[in-house]
Amino acid sequence: MSQEYIAIFMFALMMLMLFTGQRVFGAIGAVATIAALALWGTGGQDITFSAAMKLMKWYPLLTLPMFIFMGYVLSESRLADDLYKMFHVWMGPINGGLAIGTIGLMVLVSAMNGLSVAGMAIGATIALPELLRRGYDKTMVTGVIQAGSSLGILVPPSVVLVLYAMIARQPVGQLWLAGIIPGLLMAAMFILYIWIRCRIQPELGPAMEDAHEVPRAEKIRLLGAGALPLIIFAAMMVPFVNGWTSLVESSAIGALTALAVSVIKRRMTWKIFEDCTKQTLAISCMFMWIILAALGFGAVFDGLGAVKAIDNLFTDQLGLSPWMILILMQLSFIVMGTFLDDTAMLVIVAPLYVPLVGELGFDLIWYGVLYTITTQIAYMTPPFGYNLFLMRAMAPPEITLRDIYGSIFPFVAVMVLALTIIMVFPEIALWLPGYVYGN
Amino acid sequence: MPGVMDRADPCRFSERGRGVIKAMASYVRIVDTVNYRIGRVMMWGLFVMMGILLWSSISKTFFVPSHWTLEMAQFAMVTYYIMGGPYSIQLGSNVRMDLFYHNWSPHRKAWFDAFTVLLLIFYLGVLFYGGLGSTAYSLGYWGDEPVSYFFGLLTGSEEIGRLERSSTAWRPYIWPVKTIMVFGFFLMLLQAISEFFKDIARINGQEIGVVRA
Amino acid sequence: QNTITWRMQTYAGPALAEHVIDPAIKMFNQIAGDRMQIELFYADQLVPTGELFRAMQKGTIDAVQSDDDSMASPTEVTVFGGYFPFASRYSLDVPVLFNQWGLNEIWDEEYSKVGVKHISAGAWDPCHFATKDPINSLADMKGKRIFTFPTAGRFLSQFGVVPVTLPWEDIEVAVQTGELDGIAWSGITEDYTVGWADVTNYFLTNNVSGAWAGHFFANMDRWNELPEDLQTLFKVCCDQSHYYRQWWYWGGEANLRVNGTKMQLTSIPDEEWVTVEEAAVKFWDEVAAESETKAKVVDIFKRYNAEMLKAGRPYRYT
Ligand code: NA
Ligand code: NA
Repeated sequence: MSQEYIAIFMFALMMLMLFTGQRVFGAIGAVATIAALALWGTGGQDITFSAAMKLMKWYPLLTLPMFIFMGYVLSESRLADDLYKMFHVWMGPINGGLAIGTIGLMVLVSAMNGLSVAGMAIGATIALPELLRRGYDKTMVTGVIQAGSSLGILVPPSVVLVLYAMIARQPVGQLWLAGIIPGLLMAAMFILYIWIRCRIQPELGPAMEDAHEVPRAEKIRLLGAGALPLIIFAAMMVPFVNGWTSLVESSAIGALTALAVSVIKRRMTWKIFEDCTKQTLAISCMFMWIILAALGFGAVFDGLGAVKAIDNLFTDQLGLSPWMILILMQLSFIVMGTFLDDTAMLVIVAPLYVPLVGELGFDLIWYGVLYTITTQIAYMTPPFGYNLFLMRAMAPPEITLRDIYGSIFPFVAVMVLALTIIMVFPEIALWLPGYVYGN
Repeated sequence: MPGVMDRADPCRFSERGRGVIKAMASYVRIVDTVNYRIGRVMMWGLFVMMGILLWSSISKTFFVPSHWTLEMAQFAMVTYYIMGGPYSIQLGSNVRMDLFYHNWSPHRKAWFDAFTVLLLIFYLGVLFYGGLGSTAYSLGYWGDEPVSYFFGLLTGSEEIGRLERSSTAWRPYIWPVKTIMVFGFFLMLLQAISEFFKDIARINGQEIGVVRA
Repeated sequence: QNTITWRMQTYAGPALAEHVIDPAIKMFNQIAGDRMQIELFYADQLVPTGELFRAMQKGTIDAVQSDDDSMASPTEVTVFGGYFPFASRYSLDVPVLFNQWGLNEIWDEEYSKVGVKHISAGAWDPCHFATKDPINSLADMKGKRIFTFPTAGRFLSQFGVVPVTLPWEDIEVAVQTGELDGIAWSGITEDYTVGWADVTNYFLTNNVSGAWAGHFFANMDRWNELPEDLQTLFKVCCDQSHYYRQWWYWGGEANLRVNGTKMQLTSIPDEEWVTVEEAAVKFWDEVAAESETKAKVVDIFKRYNAEMLKAGRPYRYT
């Protein structure tokens, strides 16, 4: 079988299994196994297991359970409640202020966990009901929470950037720093959009009338809540960026700090603790098993020459310029985001694309940021998207799927704009890591 | 599928059919309970990893850095996710792509799952077999028949040879972690078969297995 | 007629492989044409380096370029692969030891026992420290987490070095994230070629070995299936790869020490460095006591180095 056919065969078989609803890791692993036994020749039966040994050596994966645990501690112990109150009283009095405050909340939550799910959970449980009660337009607020939670993987710490770093063999520290300014830029653009929109249509985000009743001293006291994310963020990032602790050690420190803060603030009960621990196992296993299967898939795909076929297609057969190839890749990510889970996409597709991006002469730190934003867009765009389904699962019943679909377009437009700006001005991503690491 | 729905009524099963369902139910109960208990222990492994990493940073800051911490943390991670895997299946946390699947009836889901889970079982079986071979190698067996080697170890016709060590300065033996992996894959295999039985029962209009949080 | 295809994995990453293996394989494929093609894979690409030996033995991978130490061969000679402390002074010592002093025969015998064809041995670069903080004395080595070869690590730990083993491709990142304080894996040519010079600041001119010893191997069955002329062609291309490295490293080391701008050179004074050399002699004896084969190899090293010393300049200057 020629390399092109092998590539098509493996993808087609995987899609078939995914569409019929088998667990993602099972689908990927089974295709890898079938292809290895049928096409590899001698010794093909050992490849899926040697992927398990490879995974063991991928030590940055140790950060995964740590960041997942942090996210759960944060959302389950309702540590973000005070933060939300702070934005509430300070931002409430202006039109769209609560929505703007929610974006602010999301930025802070992003700095304390590595996935977008925690932001989504906090947004949907704390912010969403309150926004609806205050008469905010439901389409607007659903969009705000989805867009805001996407900052979770762009602002450090970020699990997606850790995985990307392993695939692209790029330093995690630089990638994390590279995500900060684009993350803040995107947040600022969301805020700008909300503000302008609510100036034109004040009924979308009515100003809070009763906000003035909160005494000034209380308002000042609430500002103290803002210290919390700073403490957690600093406990983890300062020793890391200074090289006192390694990446994996820092992640453990971050997880312990979040736990300690929740205990000190008396928000942690045994029940919550046990629940966070259990959920962390569940989600970590989901990730690890997908990565295990995908590493096997990648090795088989590569060993059978299918990677070369894809390389050829992009570089020789289509005869495109580097920028065209890059844009084509980003578009294909958006298409794939409709049916592939984010980890699967990262571990299967990124290893095909990333080396090619490097060969084309693009900076792989910069591309990591582009990649992250693109996948976030992919999960938010209808008809199918990971975030869309999560939102539907978490939102109150009065919010329909149609509302959710309708809500994201303006925000996706903002994200595409942000993406374009970062493509045109790579310095937005590269300046901070260059400044800190000095090269 | 009306023909199938007809058979959903348990009274219409033959004596043998009921026996089969009952046997499957006992299998599911035993396997699910064992994997549940193991998973409940494994979930605390998170703090073992945290402890190792914390000791790593403490020893680095205040004493001489320990050279076993990173590798030990890796072993802990492998144990955590492989041995915890079956419990995560019970918790339903392994994402599926719910493009179409989401809207299907439980009955139709069961039909498709019953087929595709066989492929999962196939994958896990090969993974398990590869692990057996690699574990046999770590015990000094270089042939192609790990099963007969392990059998030979039991009967005394084979012996343990040159033990594989990690090529690090710490040089731990590799067989313990490989044994854990193989055992974990085996548990995962049992769990996948349990899921298969649940699907078969569901196709026949029965729910087997204990529902736990 | 069907084209024979082999999968070969090297322990080197792509940047290094561009020099140390790509040209040889390209040459092989060009000459062999439709008769045989070798597909080359880089460090950890198909299987992790730790599983490389087993994968080749079982035929999952057909051929391998690596030292014995890194791929953890289950042989008596594994400890001598990579950098065996102070076994060689120059890169020419390695082919002389293998071709004129009998190491080839020992290796061939050891690998045949485990079903693997030992094709040929060659030299790479010397083993120097590249670190974030300077090393000016033995005391400066204490507590440093260093990425190095297993045997070199075992030897160096008596001076307080904490040897760390990670996938080769992750080293640059690990230095930046603080997992490592430095690297004792190569000479300065490689530090510049693979990007380690960008993340470290200092280069220690003292080395614990003058040249790495590494090999080409193949799965025994695959090797025996090849017609004789393709076997010869493969050997010739391996030798071409050894030859390329001889001049590439030899010239590169001198050039970058003098003209390189990314790393500052430091040295441990000779009086102090003697301690390390003496420790190596003790280490050799410890290793020799482990088995007959090891004793045989150590004996060859001892006699060879004594002869070189007697030969005087330019073979040995001290
Ligand atoms: Na984050
Ligand atoms: Na989508």
